[in-house]
Amino acid sequence: MQHMEFKVKWGMVIDLDKCTGCGACSIACRAENNIPPMQDASNKLRTTDWMNIYELSNGKKFPDLEIAYLPRPCMQCGKPSCSTVCPVVATTKDEEGGIVSQVYPRCIGCRYCMAACPYHARYFNWFDPIWPEGMEKTLTPYVSARPRGVVEKCTFCHHRFNAAKEQARMSGADPLDLPEDAYIPACAEVCPTGAIVFGNLKNPEHRVAKLAASKYAFRLLARLGTDPQVYYYSKRDWVRQLGDNYLQKELKGGEHV
Amino acid sequence: MGLDRRSFISLVAGGVVGSLATPVVWKTLDDVSIWSQNWPWIPRLKYGEETLLPSLCKLGTDAYGVQVKLVAGHPVAAYGNPEHPLSRGGICPLGAASVQLLYSPSRVRSPKKRVGNSFEDISWEEAEALLAEQLKSAGKDVALVSGDDTGTAAEVLAGLVAALGSQQAYFMPSEGAAAAAALKLLGGDGLVGYDLEGADYVLLLGADALGAWGTTLRNAKAFADGRERAVRVVYVGPAMTATAAVADAWIPCTPGTEGVVAMGLANMILERRSPSKVAGLAEFRKQAAGFTPDAVATRSGVAAETLLGLAKELLAAGKPLVVPGTTAAQGLAVSDAAAALAVNVLLDRINMPGGVMVLPWGPKVVAAAPDKKAMMGRDVVGYLAAVAAGNAPAPKVLLVHAANPAYALPDLKTAQTALDKAGFVVSFSSFMDETAAQADLILPDSLTYERYDDAYTPYGSGQANYTMAAPILKQPLFATKAAADVALGVASKLGADLGFASFEDVLKAKAEALGLDFEAAATGSVWLGTEFAVQQLDLAKVQAPASAATAADLTLVPVANLKIGSPKVATPPFGTNAISPRELQGKDMVVAMNAATASKLGVRAGDAVTLSGAGGECRARVRIFEGVVDGAVMAPLGLGHTAWDAFSRGKGANVFQILGTQADVAGFTRFATAPVGVRKA
Repeated sequence: MQHMEFKVKWGMVIDLDKCTGCGACSIACRAENNIPPMQDASNKLRTTDWMNIYELSNGKKFPDLEIAYLPRPCMQCGKPSCSTVCPVVATTKDEEGGIVSQVYPRCIGCRYCMAACPYHARYFNWFDPIWPEGMEKTLTPYVSARPRGVVEKCTFCHHRFNAAKEQARMSGADPLDLPEDAYIPACAEVCPTGAIVFGNLKNPEHRVAKLAASKYAFRLLARLGTDPQVYYYSKRDWVRQLGDNYLQKELKGGEHV
Repeated sequence: MGLDRRSFISLVAGGVVGSLATPVVWKTLDDVSIWSQNWPWIPRLKYGEETLLPSLCKLGTDAYGVQVKLVAGHPVAAYGNPEHPLSRGGICPLGAASVQLLYSPSRVRSPKKRVGNSFEDISWEEAEALLAEQLKSAGKDVALVSGDDTGTAAEVLAGLVAALGSQQAYFMPSEGAAAAAALKLLGGDGLVGYDLEGADYVLLLGADALGAWGTTLRNAKAFADGRERAVRVVYVGPAMTATAAVADAWIPCTPGTEGVVAMGLANMILERRSPSKVAGLAEFRKQAAGFTPDAVATRSGVAAETLLGLAKELLAAGKPLVVPGTTAAQGLAVSDAAAALAVNVLLDRINMPGGVMVLPWGPKVVAAAPDKKAMMGRDVVGYLAAVAAGNAPAPKVLLVHAANPAYALPDLKTAQTALDKAGFVVSFSSFMDETAAQADLILPDSLTYERYDDAYTPYGSGQANYTMAAPILKQPLFATKAAADVALGVASKLGADLGFASFEDVLKAKAEALGLDFEAAATGSVWLGTEFAVQQLDLAKVQAPASAATAADLTLVPVANLKIGSPKVATPPFGTNAISPRELQGKDMVVAMNAATASKLGVRAGDAVTLSGAGGECRARVRIFEGVVDGAVMAPLGLGHTAWDAFSRGKGANVFQILGTQADVAGFTRFATAPVGVRKA
């Protein structure tokens, strides 16, 4: 499929040396994007968490163990595997800003995209969205409730992007040249340690662009060629190595095994 | 006239081509996919004007400012408040779920009175009359347990209890109380705070500062800022907590020996530097001399050279800060807190930028109420144990406010016995928590977003602060009432006038006492204190800390976790997904131990085990995690609710059930760690 380049590329850098795995991002995301609560969320194959938090470990024995928490939103891949397999064009990457879209009413629930996504960022609604009585009054006006049988994922709080563009247009500014922090997703906004930094990867003035260019920045499974717009940052070597499915007995030079 | 083969094929082919060319098919398909997702049970969104209003989140152990987003006057989401010094835009997992919590299925929607084994809904008139009648007949035999040690509501309730002639007003256990008691032990007076923003080296002795300890969000911001300034953060503790995971170094120690480490550091510092102008130094030196590097290493498991390294780093740092605490965010030993305070004294870090700050007790406006200092100096665990044992008279009426003592107290069986012995238990809980479920009368408090609320200097704050929150909703969602208003009404009914007609008036007086404009405060203006009491601390009074549970082969390390809940609230509906399989698997709590401990116990990963402690037993599954010291079992606090709702009930076990207590100095109880037994279930 044709790969599109954009003038603005929204991206994220998550500092894994700052993330404490507290879960506030994930819960704020749930509230912002109207993901219904689940009474039993212990079976993680049936839950929906646009922002999921994994625990990484250096695998060493006590007392040499180190751990890191890895929050995983949608990577908003530059070359997404999900949109290319969608038979009904319900997910595309064709809008300025480089966010992989998801049109819920078009989705037929075939889940090809879930199989294609190497990051497990996509979620299938196994259940109807039910809020406890009265709690539906706390739905935000930003994201419609998705019915059973539909796949969904993180959208970088796309509605906030729209709002920021509108704001810019109203004040006569260029909606494609938003200042830093004019548009940030809910997770980045509420993160207590500021581990999640958001901005335009193509604007060298934005912190996110500077951090992404650091030698400590890396992307998940980068060599699959999906070109994710979410970067991670860690000064710990073992964390960065885990980022690309590091194999201990890996052959050098790119040979196939 | 028949249809021949040629005409038939032409007709079909024409039909296919025609239907592909017309948009009708595609439009119909599109409509089908839209309408097949359009069911009456899928809620519709409501649109309207958006506003942001400041408020407070007091669901955890701290209190910080939030911003609540309203759409057409209705709250939809809570965010951190960038303007608030204890939030600075951050939010905790409980705060993030707080708006939805307004509609929690476990909310008590009207006053209830116990009839046999169930509850009957009653009117507020009847409920308040019943409360007045019970209080009248109880006379002086009234007691209060409050979990709100920052708010003025507790002052009003304590005022009511005092006006009735009782001294039995208690706060739930908190580290702030233990730290204040340690300060008092050394001859000081005030709340203990830590200027984390100003320090250039932070040694956390057990305090899970980025987990659930103290001003968690402010700690997180200070930590993040500190990273930019290359501030070194070292965590000493028995387990790889949230703080240890991102600290510059984790130094494992035997559970409950952080105070021993502090004394060892004091000893090493004294060998290298003799501070002038420290009272009681000679006596303290004698105490500390017993904590030789080898003795400390034996007791705490921290190697002598590691300890020496820490002492050198403290001495080399310009603005070092030593912070005592626990993974449970409560149950800290006063002696441990005093030992850490002593190290700060030796380093001359009291009331210095980046040091330990002594903050004034807030002003009291309800004249009848006991001083907060006095209330914080009392130990609720000891009181309830005395009541249970018959060493103290059981109160005829027990008022429970913003607290859940039937769930969140160590040695839980004893606490429950005391609650059973109380004649008439009144719960002000907004939720059907364990205490409310066994109360005789429930007078549901409104939640912060529905009423006035305030917070004065949550524990850990680097400077005194006061935040007020006006109601965000015009009226409570259900038939609830602010507990303080109920108390004021009942007081006047009983002829024990507290001097105020409403809680709003109390807060007006509070604002005035602080020199703050009420209107400004009610719209989000935060008061910041700049006074720090000058104090001469006397180290002669430091009592050498004992290791907790030294005789135990195996120690329980409970870890507070805000995404699971707090002593006040169970997992909110929006919190269940954030709980990981590292904490809960199916209905089983997961406890962590390292491989060496597991092999010694003969258990493997995934095994179901029975944990046994002072108060009983509970079930768990084993996780092998190398981030726990040998001989320790790490368990998440906040699971195992028996009341509440389907989002939290029956999930995992309540660690408080097996958490034993140990007598501590100054009449306090330590329980941050306790002996535990583990066997295969």
